[in-house]
Amino acid sequence: MQVDHVVCAFCGCVCDDISVTVEGDRITKAKNACVLGKSWFLSHGTPSDLPVARIEGKPVSLDRGIEEAARCLANARYPLIYGLSSTSCEAQRKAVALAEVLGGCIDCCTSVCHGPSGMALQGVGEPTCTLGEVKNRADLIIYWGSNPAESHPRHMARYAVTPKGMFVPDGRKGRTVVLIDVRRTPSARAADIFLQIKPGKDFEVLWALQALANGQKPDEISIENTGLTYEQLTGLADRMMHCKFGVIFVGQGLTQTRGKHFNTSAVFLLVRALNRHVKFALIPMRGHGNVTGIDNVLAWQTGYPFGVNFSLGYPRFNPGEYTVVDLLSRGEADAALVVAADPISSLPGKAARRLAEIPLVSLDTHDSETTRSARIAFTTSTAGIHAEGTVYRMDNIPIHLRKVMDSSYPSDEEVLDRLLAGVKELKAC
Amino acid sequence: MTVLTLKSQLQAPLEAGVIVPDRFAGNSVAAVAGMPVTYGNEAACLGDFFKVAGAGSTEIVLEGDLGRVKNIAAGMTRGKITVHGDAGMHLGSEMRGGVINVYGNVGDWAGSEMKGGKIHIHGNAGHGLGGAYRGSRRGMNRGMIIVEGNAGNEAGAVMRRGLIVVAGNAGDFAGAFMIAGTLMVFGKLGIRAGAGLLRGTLVTFNQPELLPTFCYDCSYSPSFLKLILRDLRLQGLSISEEYITGCYRRYSGDFNRLGKGEILVYDQR
Ligand code: SF4
Repeated sequence: MQVDHVVCAFCGCVCDDISVTVEGDRITKAKNACVLGKSWFLSHGTPSDLPVARIEGKPVSLDRGIEEAARCLANARYPLIYGLSSTSCEAQRKAVALAEVLGGCIDCCTSVCHGPSGMALQGVGEPTCTLGEVKNRADLIIYWGSNPAESHPRHMARYAVTPKGMFVPDGRKGRTVVLIDVRRTPSARAADIFLQIKPGKDFEVLWALQALANGQKPDEISIENTGLTYEQLTGLADRMMHCKFGVIFVGQGLTQTRGKHFNTSAVFLLVRALNRHVKFALIPMRGHGNVTGIDNVLAWQTGYPFGVNFSLGYPRFNPGEYTVVDLLSRGEADAALVVAADPISSLPGKAARRLAEIPLVSLDTHDSETTRSARIAFTTSTAGIHAEGTVYRMDNIPIHLRKVMDSSYPSDEEVLDRLLAGVKELKAC
Repeated sequence: MTVLTLKSQLQAPLEAGVIVPDRFAGNSVAAVAGMPVTYGNEAACLGDFFKVAGAGSTEIVLEGDLGRVKNIAAGMTRGKITVHGDAGMHLGSEMRGGVINVYGNVGDWAGSEMKGGKIHIHGNAGHGLGGAYRGSRRGMNRGMIIVEGNAGNEAGAVMRRGLIVVAGNAGDFAGAFMIAGTLMVFGKLGIRAGAGLLRGTLVTFNQPELLPTFCYDCSYSPSFLKLILRDLRLQGLSISEEYITGCYRRYSGDFNRLGKGEILVYDQR
């Protein structure tokens, strides 16, 4: 059976033109999807033999698992809910409700990827646009600290570089593509101009570009050690100030290197300065399928996009205080619920070690380092394959997920809903 | 004088914004012990964690490892707090008056958004010293902070008025987006000091790596600095005579903003 117009929820591109072939109980083909999307569909569309719930590695019934997990979280003094980037907004909502009832902290993968972009947004405002506008209008595309060819394989072909748009009728020929990074990545092949800057010098380059956009002359000697020549810099600034519609795609090369939110603030301020000359915008290259969704859900429910604490009963936000790495490495969190993420293999050593020590409840579609260290592990179905739901694309556009096939596992939303009920009962609220 | 001694090591953060002279003054020992705090996500009383000696007064002494106790002296307007040990996050944040002395290290955001009073930290300070909370338009606005050890990143960020002195090193983005005020660092400055400086003065005694939006003006001996340095001597800091009589190179910036800020670098020659 072939199902058309299926949405791939693997990366922030959220391509909604996939044709999936289902044969029996598995997915055998995913037409139009890139390598990453294809492997996502094929692996999640294959029946799994994992038990629905495990306690200390031993299979138990879902009810027993929920009971134990609810007790474990309700007893905690400073519980942490983390992950949520690869699940539907409906499940994310339940997780926020759970954090509130628990009086805990809720943080998402944003805090270790584009959290600094959120902080910059709050500090200086975000001049942004949608990918549709990029496709139809942008004639200057700049990827900064991101490698779309490997991280978002269809980004260039579907939205930013090759498609023909309303005001860019020539498609690829009508656009100039610039890649700025600290090393030559496979994306460089698709770019017209590749500028290699020295590691840790992004802020200086952005700051100098902003000066040029403001009509100032930056100090030549301070530019020397950025890896770019003065001519390269003025050439780039000139190109930026003379395009029709420019876009900067901000990658983790900026947000997760020294300077973090100041780096992103510098891009935001640069784009603001450029808008005095031409139309310019920026879009953060969000990685996981629905990491933009959790920012939106959290912001709409609590007012803040990540790193939210409920210990006083109302939401408070403070990156550095309520964010996952800090909470764990300071040894404050005493129980954790991880949804659709694998922090034990991705967080820095000290934080990961703490997470492995404390009572851990995990929800995931497959086995990972985190589910293996969890005291209670639930196996759930995949939103976008086994369940409907909503995800947000990297430009904050909500897209509805289709269900392609049935699954014997409950969805994240269902498990979180039952956990919420269990915790409410224990906390008598 | 009220003496609070921590009974045992804390496992979770204790939010103790009640530890301020304004709240303590005129209360009995029992009333002080009964003041509400939050331990993790549970409501509790101060007396559950501290042994209280002496009725509530405007002079408070804290003893023990208070590294997990948050909001000590937050919003205080008068009196004196002395901490023998480490103090947690938000020490003296939004304070308006009074004096805090810490004989230990303090956590992040010490003295952030303070509007008066003095904080003297004899150990190290964390990030965001005298800074602003996310989304706030201004950080420290009047008052004085002295750190005898090192400070973390973003010391004095978005500061509006006041004086911060760091005897050791400061982390990255010291004085970033400062609106006005003075930040003095005797040790080394991290990278990108003074980024986005609007007005205000950053004084340093080691040549920092400057951003491309700062330019050299002149070398001179500012008299206001002599007064501040002499005053710091009276506060117990050892300031060498060369710093008082010497010359400073003045760089102005940040030209991406108003450009009325200055970085004064002590001229070794
Ligand atoms: S680019 Fe991303 S969303 Fe599109 S098919 Fe590939 S993995 Fe899926």
